[in-house]
Amino acid sequence: MIREKLKTGVPGLDEMLDGGLIPGRPYIVSGTSGTGKTTLAMRFLLEGAMNGEKVLYVALDEPPNEVKANLRSFGWDISGVTVFDATLDIMSYDKTPVRDVSSERKPVPMKDIGDHIRKTPDKGPADMTVNTLQEMLKQEMRLRKYTRVVVDSTTSIERFYIRTSEEYSTMQSFFRLMTDLGVTSILTVQLPEVTSPTPESRMARAEIRLHKWFDGKGLNRAITIEKYRGSAHDDRLRQFKITDHGIEIRLETTRKSREPKKAMQAEPESAQHPAIAPPAATQPVPAPIPEEVPLPPPPAQEQVTQPAPPPQGGDGA
Amino acid sequence: MLKGGLIPGRPYLLSGSVGSGKTTLGIQFLQQGVKQGERALFVSIDEPPVEVRENVRSLGWDVGKIRILDVHPSAKAYSKKVSMVEVGAQRSVGSLREATTDGKAEAMKQASPDLSAQTLQMMLRQELSETRYSRVVIDSLTSLRRLTNLEEDPEMSINSLLRFLSEAGVTAIIVADFPDPTRLDIESFVCRGEIRLHKVMASSRIERFITVEKIRGSAHDTMPRPMTISGAGITVASKRKVSPTVLKALQAVPTVYVR
Repeated sequence: MIREKLKTGVPGLDEMLDGGLIPGRPYIVSGTSGTGKTTLAMRFLLEGAMNGEKVLYVALDEPPNEVKANLRSFGWDISGVTVFDATLDIMSYDKTPVRDVSSERKPVPMKDIGDHIRKTPDKGPADMTVNTLQEMLKQEMRLRKYTRVVVDSTTSIERFYIRTSEEYSTMQSFFRLMTDLGVTSILTVQLPEVTSPTPESRMARAEIRLHKWFDGKGLNRAITIEKYRGSAHDDRLRQFKITDHGIEIRLETTRKSREPKKAMQAEPESAQHPAIAPPAATQPVPAPIPEEVPLPPPPAQEQVTQPAPPPQGGDGA
Repeated sequence: MLKGGLIPGRPYLLSGSVGSGKTTLGIQFLQQGVKQGERALFVSIDEPPVEVRENVRSLGWDVGKIRILDVHPSAKAYSKKVSMVEVGAQRSVGSLREATTDGKAEAMKQASPDLSAQTLQMMLRQELSETRYSRVVIDSLTSLRRLTNLEEDPEMSINSLLRFLSEAGVTAIIVADFPDPTRLDIESFVCRGEIRLHKVMASSRIERFITVEKIRGSAHDTMPRPMTISGAGITVASKRKVSPTVLKALQAVPTVYVR
C-alpha cells in the first residue's frame, strides 16, 4: 500500500532511510543550533525541484534573503524553490492596529528574493500566527500542488506564533494539517544542548537527528534516525561533513566506524576517553565517537546490560 | 577563526561566563569600526558608562569615538511613571570619552520608565534614525531579559529587537551569560552565529580560550583557541592549540552529545 519512497537527495541519507521518506507524511529534523537542519531540509526541496515537483520553503526563523545567501556557497540551483517569508515583523508598541497578513504576503520564487531583509511596513506589523500560517498553506495548496514543504522551524511556531496556552494541541493540529494537505513535509526542531524528547518527536512519523560535539581533535558531526514509522531504517550513528556540496554522510561500515557504537554502550568509566576505549584494529580515522558527556543519566537499559560480558568480550555481532 | 570576520547586517551572540572578557571583546569590535570610519554604538545596561570608560582606559585605548547609550538603570523612582510613547525622546547618548556622572543625566533618568526590550527598541529606533550606526553592542541581553516588565512577552520583545537591528542593517553583537544547556534561549537560534568565551581554572591559574559555536553562511574554525587579555585587548592565538588540561576541562562542558 505504501507508494514509492521520496528521495531526500542528501548523499547517504536515503540509504539510511531504506530508500527515502514515505510520501504524504510529516517528518522532523532535530538538532542544536548550527547542526545543519536548514541545509538538510533545503537539499530535500532541491531534490524535488530538480524532478520538476513544486516545493515550498516556509521561513520562520531566518530571513529568506540570508538563507539564500548562505546556500550560495553550495552552488545549488534553488531558483525552483518557492519561499514564504513568515518571519515576524518588528513589533510596534504604540497603538498601531495589527493587520491580517494574508492579503499582503505571498509565497514567491526564490529567485525573486533580494539581498536585503524584508522591511516591516510603515503601517505597522502584520499579524502572523499559527492560524494565518495554516490559512496560507491551505490557500497555496489549492493554487499550486506542492509535493514537498519545509517549515523552518516549529520551535518558532511554539515560541512566537501560538498565542494561547494550548501549545501541544495546536502543534498536533499543525501536524495534522500537514498530513491533510497530502504533502511530504520536513519540519525543523531546535534543541537545547541537553534535551529530553520533544512533543514533535511524538507527532512526527520519523525523526532525523543531527548531532555535533567536540572531542578534543575538533568538531564532530553525526546523524541518527531516531524513529521511522512504517519503514526499516539504519540504527547506527553516522558521521557526516558539511562540505561545498552540502551534507555528506559517511556510510561505509568498517570496523572502525562500528567501534564508537560499542563505546557508547560501554560503561561510562571505560568509555570516558578514547584512549581507554578498546584498541581498534588500526588507528581510528577521524577520532572515535564520544567521550560521553556525563550529564544525562545513563539510560535505564544500561543497567540491564551491565551484568552482561564486559565491553571487550561482548562482540555485538 | 571566522574566515575573515562577521557577515554584515546580522546579529551575533557573544556568550561567556562572568569575567571572561565579553565586554572587552565588544568594545574591541566597536573600536575596529570606529578606526575604519564607521559609527559604533555601545548600549550599556550592566555597567554605568563612566565605569565602562574607566575600565577601557585602563587598557590604554582611545575610545572617544564610540558612542554610548546609557540605559543603566538608576535608582528606581516610583513617583514618576512615564508613558511608553514618550520613551523615545528620553535617552542619553554621549561619546564614551565624555561619560560622566553628571547631575542632568541623573535627573533625566529618574523620570525615565523601566528599561525593557520594548523601551530599548524604541530608544534605538530614534537613535538610529539620527545616526547611521553600522556596529552595535548590547551589553547584556541577560540583564535586559531580567529587566523586562511583567506585561510583555520577553521572547517576543527580544525577537523584535533583533529583527529591528537586522532591518536597520546593523551588525550587532549581543552579549549574554554562558547559556544553560538544558534551556533553549531564543537568542541562541535567532542570532546568526555564536562566539563563546571560556575561562577555566587549570593548574591553579586561569586559562582563557574562545570557541566559535556557529556561524550561518560561513565556514569557521571549530577548534578552541587560547586567548589572552592584555593592553591590546583580547588576542586570540588562532594557530595554537589549547593546553591538554584545558581540553579536558572543555570536554566537561556539555557542548554536545545528547541521546
